[in-house]
Amino acid sequence: MSADKHASPWPRNGAYLAMATAIFAFPLLVGNTFHIHIAQTLLYTTIAVIGLNMLLGLSGQMSLGQAGFYAIGAYGSALLTAKLGWPIAAGMLAGILLAGLAGCLVGLIALRTRGLYLAMATLAFGFMTEIAAQRWVDLTGGTMGVYGIPALDFGSSKMGKTYFLWVVGAAYLAVQIASDYVMSSRIRRKLLALKENESAARTTGINVPVWRTMVFAVSSLLAGTAGVFFTHQNAYINSDAFTLGLTLTMLIATVIGGLGTSYGPLIGTLITLMIAELIASLYDVSFLVNGLILLSVLLLFPQGAIGLVQKVAGLFRGAAREGTPEVAQSGSFSAFAPGAAPASAGPTLVIESLSKSYGGVVAVSDVSLSVDRGTVHALIGPNGAGKSTLINCVSGLYRSDSGRIQLAGKDVSHLPAHARARMGLARTFQNLQLVNSLTVMENLQLGLRSTRSIPADFSSWLLSDAFEREERARALDILRQFGMAHLASAFPEDLPYGHRKLAELARAIAEEPIVMLLDEPVAGLNDREAQEISGVIRRIRDAGTSILLVEHNMDFVMQLADRVTVLDHGERIAQGAPAEVQKDPRVVEAYLGAPLEASSATPAEAVS
Amino acid sequence: MSGANFVQLMLSGLAMSAIYALTATGLFVAHLATTRMNFGQGEFLMFAAYLSMALLLAGVPVLLVVAAVIVVLAMMGWGLERLAIRPLDRLRSLAGGQYSWVLTTMGVALILQNVVTLVWGKSSQYSPPLFSANRQNVVQFLGVGVFVEELLVIVVALVAILIFYAFLYRTRQGRAIYAVAFSPETASLLGIDVRRTVVLVFVMASVLAAISGVLVGPIVTVQPHMGLVFTVKAFAVASLGGFANPLGVLVGAIIFGVVESFSNYVNSAFGDLYPLLLVMALLVIKPSGLFGEAKTDVR
Repeated sequence: MSADKHASPWPRNGAYLAMATAIFAFPLLVGNTFHIHIAQTLLYTTIAVIGLNMLLGLSGQMSLGQAGFYAIGAYGSALLTAKLGWPIAAGMLAGILLAGLAGCLVGLIALRTRGLYLAMATLAFGFMTEIAAQRWVDLTGGTMGVYGIPALDFGSSKMGKTYFLWVVGAAYLAVQIASDYVMSSRIRRKLLALKENESAARTTGINVPVWRTMVFAVSSLLAGTAGVFFTHQNAYINSDAFTLGLTLTMLIATVIGGLGTSYGPLIGTLITLMIAELIASLYDVSFLVNGLILLSVLLLFPQGAIGLVQKVAGLFRGAAREGTPEVAQSGSFSAFAPGAAPASAGPTLVIESLSKSYGGVVAVSDVSLSVDRGTVHALIGPNGAGKSTLINCVSGLYRSDSGRIQLAGKDVSHLPAHARARMGLARTFQNLQLVNSLTVMENLQLGLRSTRSIPADFSSWLLSDAFEREERARALDILRQFGMAHLASAFPEDLPYGHRKLAELARAIAEEPIVMLLDEPVAGLNDREAQEISGVIRRIRDAGTSILLVEHNMDFVMQLADRVTVLDHGERIAQGAPAEVQKDPRVVEAYLGAPLEASSATPAEAVS
Repeated sequence: MSGANFVQLMLSGLAMSAIYALTATGLFVAHLATTRMNFGQGEFLMFAAYLSMALLLAGVPVLLVVAAVIVVLAMMGWGLERLAIRPLDRLRSLAGGQYSWVLTTMGVALILQNVVTLVWGKSSQYSPPLFSANRQNVVQFLGVGVFVEELLVIVVALVAILIFYAFLYRTRQGRAIYAVAFSPETASLLGIDVRRTVVLVFVMASVLAAISGVLVGPIVTVQPHMGLVFTVKAFAVASLGGFANPLGVLVGAIIFGVVESFSNYVNSAFGDLYPLLLVMALLVIKPSGLFGEAKTDVR
């Protein structure tokens, strides 16, 4: 499925062409200006809904203030053109940018907080713009509105509506194509990752706050674009247009069409507009109807219109599962070449007197260790010794209180997790951190470093039938090493625990790291699986990657590790070759407790 | 500003603080146990205000009115959980994604607002006073004439909040809420009925909206779209407190109500917007609110 998903871009591009033709022909075939007006409204409202669909469907952020951005675009362009006499094009551009700017400002909240606060902040923002539009009469004219706004009709009162539809149509198509690209490219994978699993996103090199804010700014920019078109369609605006009702209409359009789907926004907006026309005469109960629609869609048809169509289509198509299991292959990782690993031998990861405490509790105290290139360094110690804290500090998820961390000779102590990941630090987690809404293949692709710029990636997606073919081949190659190629299009939640563990390790390998941090790679696995992982780790090491691993399985550690560091109560109590460390009396004491005095109970008595 | 003016503004502010504290505590307790809440909390308050006004105008004794409104709103809280919250568990990651509850509870709020408009009309109305013969009744307090209604709203709200705290910290059910907040799975293994606890928090949230609705009627004008204002402000208050503990909510409410009162005095046109801007700015600087702890999501 996923392997052939992008086989040919032409059916999709054909659809764009058909839509372009339809938009071009519609006003010429339909003389009725009312219908042309509705078509205009459909297309520019869809632009705003596409923004909301990306925000809510991909990045999982809720905005209850889209009407505010719509209003800023609308008033921005209206006031600049009507009161300051700016040319329409300049006014429109400025309106759109103003909305984007407002989005960045509100997005600052998205940068720092999560979900709920953003929903609240946007609700408050929409409320405040609504109030400002009503009460700031000197600027907005309040309910009296702004007069003298030029209509976007290119000077022709006869063909003006047609030209406007074409302009809006072109804008819609551009946004639709951009949205489709986002939904089928690495951007979608990144957004789903940060929506669902922030730790996974950060440690695979995604700058979470920046992405989160960017999506928000884009969605407000698109809402502003719709507002700008609204202004110049009607050549008159007043504060009644920008209420919470507008935000809710856009949200309803988003969910009614099918959240996170490509054509959901268009279909959803169409349905919402049709309902609005139907109930125009029932003004008294419009809230009631909208509320009922919202409830019934969310509770009865949560997959939306597009989802329903797909479900029905799926019934006829039948569920053919493709792909046959492949036998695990051994051998070296042909595709595996660690990133900018320094050629010289010597330590690639150096930890110098690192300390970290929570409140008053010291979790890691003054720990130093270094991992040489192409070696496995094991970190062991009883529960609560501070091993996971150390790993979290090194990967950058925790900020250490003091001490230095060097990666390939560079001090990374003050870099955020995603920056460390991009410098060649990959990790796995004790409790798996896979992105469940992405397939195994896509999870691996999340780890792959893309060399293409966004424009190059876009043109490849638009025109080439080899879009991401190389990346998928590389991901498949890594999966093949694990004997998991047949599971490429499975979702993590459908896999048994051992396979999920392997998939996470595979994702870390896809990052081609200089240093790999493995937090309990074989916990919960049986002996055979542990052997398999052990083999994989050896091959990664032989390819030149340095590995720092935490593990409780002593057999595994002793046969794999080149060096071992033992932590107890956050302090380093021993370091050296596995055999030396095993004999160290302090280590024995840490694991088994202080030796009993000769006079104390015999083991048999202790048991009873 | 004269000293008398200051005391009056302070007291008006504190009266609104009391309302916000009650409303926001409802949001807080639902969020605590379920990480969800009623985005129509303000509409519930609005409905309670209307219901109480209608009953008072019909000559029903005050205590009976309070009891009736609480019972009706408690039932609505139960209904909300059954209709708009619980069914979403089956549908996780569909539709509105993890925030579908925002949309369903807002859907209920829209319906409620429309129903109230149909029944009581669109225009603003005055609810009769609860405690005294008329709304303008004044007593001497700190040497200044203050409204009896405002003074008693503060007292009653404080008592209601104390009862809520006692319930939360002193009863088995209250501690069950904290257990469910910590981990629903663990709580159910400990023999706590998670379902019932979830229903309970939504009922409690509605009861708190009921009390604020009854109290707020006589000190503001009652209108069908007043709900959103209260939802937004209660939300701002709870965020100010960081959704961390009920005390934070209380402090947040006191700050918000008093600041709003003075801000309205200084600028009557946009005075009510400044406290909201302030909260949003604070969230940028201190995302977890005044009393919340920033949590890193590492497992």
